[in-house]
Amino acid sequence: MAYTVLIVDDSPVMRSFIRRVLGMSGFEIGECVEAGNGIEALAQLGTHPVDIILTDINMPQMNGEELLRKLGADGVLKSIPAVVISTDATNERILRMIALGAKGYMSKPFTPETLREELERVLGARHATT
Amino acid sequence: MPPLEQQPGIDQRPEARDTMQQVTAEVLESMFFTEAEPAPCEHGWLPGAPCARIGFAGSHRGEMLLGVSAEAAAPIGASFLGLDPMELTDAQRGQVLEELSNILCGAMLSQLWPESKLALSSPELTRWQEWPGEGLLHRCFTIPEGMLGMSIRLISAPRE
Repeated sequence: MAYTVLIVDDSPVMRSFIRRVLGMSGFEIGECVEAGNGIEALAQLGTHPVDIILTDINMPQMNGEELLRKLGADGVLKSIPAVVISTDATNERILRMIALGAKGYMSKPFTPETLREELERVLGARHATT
Repeated sequence: MPPLEQQPGIDQRPEARDTMQQVTAEVLESMFFTEAEPAPCEHGWLPGAPCARIGFAGSHRGEMLLGVSAEAAAPIGASFLGLDPMELTDAQRGQVLEELSNILCGAMLSQLWPESKLALSSPELTRWQEWPGEGLLHRCFTIPEGMLGMSIRLISAPRE
């Protein structure tokens, strides 16, 4: 199965890097859609069926925390697993994002292999429960 | 803007220098597909080098300055994005430098203070500054494409 991934990050070069690393990881990607913040992400989700969301935290207009709150409050969107990708690897931040509904947390730096493992873990867990 | 007072600090942590070396090597290898080795500090190249500054606040407050030698900026950017260095635009080169500073700073702080509560500012392109005073952690590195220099310091809240 090829997955559709939504990459949410305000840095265009970070979005390009994640897209590149997804390709390097060998993970089966059908399509990548991108958003520069939470507002754009919600707009993309209104028009694109997505299998998994990879989101940064610090973004203008709507950050990753607020995006997770919006997803969790939406009866349909809350079923889409979200993985946070951030430079912040402090314990407090990780626990807060998991409490807000993130199904995974990847701190930078990361490798294509660790990204693949995390996506397989999260999507595998989702499929196991559906 | 009120003057900022430098805190004594980050260089007093015995593991800080090793953490800076380890984090830099790990970030460069895993996300920029290159290598970094500690090098003697000969700063003649830094005044003309592309630089990025990033601030942090929360349980600790401070800033980090990252400089990459001019000849290394394009290859590093190209390696990050999977492009030929000739394809890289000036904007992309700057954005990659900002992203590198963001990743290095976040990884450094998370390793030094995993129980802290910190927020990073948006990185900005700037000129290299030789920060005066003690309490400063600084290292230079060689990478196959050139040089990389990094300084990080803690600062107190603005004086009222």
